[in-house]
Amino acid sequence: MTCGNVLTRIITGSSWHFAAEISRLAVIVATFLGISYAARKGRHISMSAFFDLSPKPVKKFLAIFNPLVTAIVLITIGYFGTIYTYGIYETGRTTAALEFPFWLMVVAIPLGCFIGAIQFLRNMWMNIVNKEIYIAEDKKDYDEQ
Amino acid sequence: MIWTLLGIMVILLLMGFPMMIPMIAGPLVIILFFMDNLDPTIMIQQMVEGISSYVLIAVPLFIFAADIMTSGRTSNKLLDFVGAFIGHIRGGYAITTAAACTLFGSISGSTQATVVAIGKPMRERLLKVGYKDSSAIALIINASDIALLIPPSIGMIIYALVSDASVGDLFIAGIGPGVLIFLFFATYSYIHARIYNIPLGPKMPWKERGNVTLKALLPLGFPIIIIGGIYTGQFTPTEAAGVSVLYALILEVLIYKTIKFKEIPGIALSSGIVTSAVFVLVAGGQAFSWVISFLRIPRMLTDAVMGPDPSALYVLLIVSIFFFIGCMFVDPIVVILILTPIFAPVATAAGIDPIHLGVVIVFQAALGSATPPFGVDIFTASSVFNKSYLDVIRGTPPYIVMLLIVSVLVVVFEDISLFLLNMF
Amino acid sequence: ACGGNDETENNGGTNEAANEGTNNGEAVENNGGNEEAVEVEAQEWRFVTEETEGQVQNVYAEEFAELVSEKSGGQISIDVYGFGELGSEVDQVEQLSTGVVEFAIISPGFTGTLVPEGNIFALQFLFDDDQELNQQVLNESEAINEHLAGKYVEQGIMPLAFWTEGAMQWTGSSALQSPDDFDGFQMRTQESPLILESYEAYDANPTAMSWGELYTGLQQGAVEGQENPLFFIEDANFHEVQDHLTISNHNMYVTMTTVNPDFYEGLDDATKTIVDESIEEMKSRSFEIQAEQNDAALGLIEEATDTPTEVYELSEEERDAFRELAVPVRDSYRDESEDAGMILDMLQDEIEAAQGN
Ligand code: NA
Ligand code: NA
Repeated sequence: MTCGNVLTRIITGSSWHFAAEISRLAVIVATFLGISYAARKGRHISMSAFFDLSPKPVKKFLAIFNPLVTAIVLITIGYFGTIYTYGIYETGRTTAALEFPFWLMVVAIPLGCFIGAIQFLRNMWMNIVNKEIYIAEDKKDYDEQ
Repeated sequence: MIWTLLGIMVILLLMGFPMMIPMIAGPLVIILFFMDNLDPTIMIQQMVEGISSYVLIAVPLFIFAADIMTSGRTSNKLLDFVGAFIGHIRGGYAITTAAACTLFGSISGSTQATVVAIGKPMRERLLKVGYKDSSAIALIINASDIALLIPPSIGMIIYALVSDASVGDLFIAGIGPGVLIFLFFATYSYIHARIYNIPLGPKMPWKERGNVTLKALLPLGFPIIIIGGIYTGQFTPTEAAGVSVLYALILEVLIYKTIKFKEIPGIALSSGIVTSAVFVLVAGGQAFSWVISFLRIPRMLTDAVMGPDPSALYVLLIVSIFFFIGCMFVDPIVVILILTPIFAPVATAAGIDPIHLGVVIVFQAALGSATPPFGVDIFTASSVFNKSYLDVIRGTPPYIVMLLIVSVLVVVFEDISLFLLNMF
Repeated sequence: ACGGNDETENNGGTNEAANEGTNNGEAVENNGGNEEAVEVEAQEWRFVTEETEGQVQNVYAEEFAELVSEKSGGQISIDVYGFGELGSEVDQVEQLSTGVVEFAIISPGFTGTLVPEGNIFALQFLFDDDQELNQQVLNESEAINEHLAGKYVEQGIMPLAFWTEGAMQWTGSSALQSPDDFDGFQMRTQESPLILESYEAYDANPTAMSWGELYTGLQQGAVEGQENPLFFIEDANFHEVQDHLTISNHNMYVTMTTVNPDFYEGLDDATKTIVDESIEEMKSRSFEIQAEQNDAALGLIEEATDTPTEVYELSEEERDAFRELAVPVRDSYRDESEDAGMILDMLQDEIEAAQGN
């Protein structure tokens, strides 16, 4: 999108803030909807130094406890995200250039958080039903790979 | 309240939570339980704000372009070209990496974009010629810091607005410290290569060099278009990121035909997941910094530590520590906006040159983003290279030591930043 | 004002909550001998601006805070937050309407999608080139203080004063003295359709760009010129990378001192009087603050001889040439909403009446 715009700007000399808005939309949507996918693949960044050095029972506890708390935090954020999105929807705020409804941008936050919470609960479940330790549904602990 | 905020963060962090949770949970608890007249949706607003910056859009685009080029042939041809000329020099690849980061940083203005755009292709090559992964990654992260010092630097522009300094003067003043870091890194790379006996490539005859150059001609258009485009004013750094995606697609899909059209969504998905993992942290960091500055914590802390009539050196020391710590958590731009107005009057009163102050501040901001335990560049590298946090920071100590030495030098000898200015 | 009641339901809780948070200290006796001071509850308010320390809006907010503190015998303290401390300008608008902050300086330019009628200040050559007369219009206009203000109240933003931060001027890499000079000129503007259209009327190529990128954009030629009040041009150092400055007075930068409506309506009479008096006294002060800063900035730009900037002031005839092209853009403003045309017509009459005096 951005590149298309540079081309059109070079060619026609016209401005290109449409692209900026669409890029922004893409970034917001990708960021929050990505929470769940990254959770499944175990791609979230964490400071795992202590986890990695812990004995197995502690690891098992954290592998169940952490996703649970993470899910709770995400559900809370998702709840406030819903209220926020609804508030934006009511004011009818639009983006400056495209006059695209702004709430469609921010609705990605509650959606992403709720779906993410479900995935973290599944990660927790993997650790409850299996003997091995799973960092994520699709990723076992480094020691067990 | 400060201790609740920091306590929650540190404990959750040490327990190995996904990094976004320690950043979000603290502010959430404060807003929900300590400030009952505050609307909690402010968290959401600030998370959106954190990832809305136009400059940041460059990051996912560079990630995407780098992914395309590494799945295809472009980056290899480029590196063959570099290798043909400097492969036989000790530490040549490492020095090239540092130089490439400096050069690219000078145009992108974003240390994160630099980690991705230079780091991805360079790391593979460094591994191939025998570097340990930890030293390769450490070099990439830390060399990307230089980006914030070499003009044009967005950090300097923001500092100039909040202070009364001239952007032009700041740009010139950043060059000295930037080059000094590069020299330290280059020297270290040379010594490192000697000690670890990194094998030297054969010195290539000129005929072969010409051959490689010819093959690299199209990929070479890439840096030329990007750097040339920005310097001649055809596009801004963010647009350059867009152009680099387009150029990479044209090369790999249409010309080399190494990537099929149907493979592009897969590459985009992989770029997307990396973007998401990093940007969730940027969003959380913004919510965190909002609560910090709403509670006036920076102001309270500075009042507490400054005392009456502090000496210039003491002020610079405190400034360094605050910016260094601040930038471990939050985007450097935000930190500069919040902290500069608090410190600038104290610094002026202590007789510190505002240009020198600006250089110290931007230097610490850059340093803070690459230093463990936190630092956005570390998160970015962890995500982009799919390496655990420990693997990423393992090799950084020598670089941190060098940066701290340069940092002390810059604080103590203001001529390192001011000498170029005084020459004119 | 019209329609403000709908909003009150939404934000019902804000006000009581804000008052709960402050202790009902009875320590009014100890107020240090200020005889004018009225007895009011001890309170802490927050005031957020769109600028940074030392710039017009922040000086205004600090002085307003001092006035309120003085009049309340030190009972009311106002914390001033500058740009970047609480997020972007648009975030600040939301924070005011949800009661996170009590006061805010909000520029209509950042609320164009929320209150399209506020885009009236983007129209060029609508006001006079005498800034003092313009400020008088802003103070007294019914179109602005009744009708336009009503539109903001509908969105949970209550304007207490409209004031200018100074006339907008052009800077360019080439001289900008006639509409012809704008032919194909890459002009950076804020992101508002009406501003873009105003420059398209001169055949320029307007481009929206954030000010963070603007210095570099001007230096490297991605854009050739920009518009801002003088104090901002000097503060952001744009004159370092521009060769020409045109004193065009093509419009003025208008901003508003605003308050959260529920909070304001919930104040007791004594406190409300303190706020109103302070706002009134700041009206002349705001004009002085911007005049001082803009004059000083022009001096600094002229003195910066190592990055020379040619200063040119448009003559009345030259302004007329631009005005002729700018007037048709007003029709696009009329299309913004049903009431926009009414507000514009009334304001035009008011400006003419003021000019006639
Ligand atoms: Na830079
Ligand atoms: Na100049």
